[in-house]
Amino acid sequence: MKIIIDAMGGDNAPDAIVRGAVQAADQLGVDIVLVGDEARVRPLLGQCAPQNPDRITVHHASEIITMEDNPISVVRQKKDSSLVVALRLLGEGAGDAMVSAGSTGALLTGATLFVKRIKGVRRAALAPVLPTAKGGSLLVDCGANVECSAESLVQFAFMGYYYTQKQMGMKNPRVGLINNGAEETKGTDALREAYQILKKASAEGKINFVGNIEGRDIPEGAADVLVCDGFTGNVVLKTIEGVGLFFVGKVKEIFMKNAATKLAGAIVKPGLREFKKMLDYNEVGGAPLLGISKPIVKAHGSSGAEALKNAVRQAVVYAKGGAVADIERSIAQLSPGSDG
Amino acid sequence: MIFDKLCELVADQFGVDPEEVTMETSFVDDYNADSIDIVELMMAVEEEFHLGEVEENALENIKTIGDVVEYIQARVDED
Repeated sequence: MKIIIDAMGGDNAPDAIVRGAVQAADQLGVDIVLVGDEARVRPLLGQCAPQNPDRITVHHASEIITMEDNPISVVRQKKDSSLVVALRLLGEGAGDAMVSAGSTGALLTGATLFVKRIKGVRRAALAPVLPTAKGGSLLVDCGANVECSAESLVQFAFMGYYYTQKQMGMKNPRVGLINNGAEETKGTDALREAYQILKKASAEGKINFVGNIEGRDIPEGAADVLVCDGFTGNVVLKTIEGVGLFFVGKVKEIFMKNAATKLAGAIVKPGLREFKKMLDYNEVGGAPLLGISKPIVKAHGSSGAEALKNAVRQAVVYAKGGAVADIERSIAQLSPGSDG
Repeated sequence: MIFDKLCELVADQFGVDPEEVTMETSFVDDYNADSIDIVELMMAVEEEFHLGEVEENALENIKTIGDVVEYIQARVDED
């Protein structure tokens, strides 16, 4: 198993990325291709002293895509950027999966242009896992596509359904549409149309559609796969992150009030630490780019070494599990003219 | 000739019947295309018609199939 890593993408690149890559090679037993500026990457690699140096190779790329670059045009302008070179290597079959903590927009554009979407997929989607009372729910899409047609929403539902089966070990994940009411008449035209298509597919046993999910039911884990357009998904994701941090901060304030509350705080501290861990992107790893013909994982932009290693672990499971092939089959069956 | 070849590329990318593609077909209105779709199509056009890289400002002006045909014709004439 060989994972290609964009060594120059992310707030803490290349330092944290190289350290995370070395941890991944040492602890997960995978081969790594680090793509980036050799003059910066090699000395960092030397400092990390990997246990298995043969597992890690460096592929030079002279340019870096920044968050300020236009994501659509930059992938054609900066042809020798670490992100574009890494994607091209993946497209050419030089590795089994790719991980980047760089620009989400550039990754989406580059993946579409150089690795290509699965045939029949209209839009690739970014799908992070949200922490919920039942463990976690996959959110498809969280920002790759601001507006979506019913066709895209239905494709997101199937992509999420198959990904969670392979990646999260769920046998028959519950798929819901994020909407402003539970009734099937709620929402935009696209949501109502998607509802009817998914309802029919569910009745035919092709998917486990549980209907519309309201915002307040998301933290309860009302569905294992939450489907929405990228605009809605991004608001949901950031709201949950914000509310979680607000809650942790407030609880801390309460426990720090006086000696008695501090004592009580000390007792519940391990539990609170666990809760904070649930919200920590360093633990989760990254979000897959669903709908692309090869496994790609977007690590959080602020990823440290641990987060990067976890994103690599996720990429390994994604590549080994065969979710791409399952998605490909399901999309082919959805296409007009198919018997499926 | 240019139109026929282009229809094949468009049909393949957008999953539509090539017979339904016309010079007036709009990428956004008819195929719900976004900017990545346009870049993707034009990269396929570059390869199919052996053109150099399509300039950024040209991409911004592409709205219909007719615009692409016109662009390809102009580039072919230049050569």
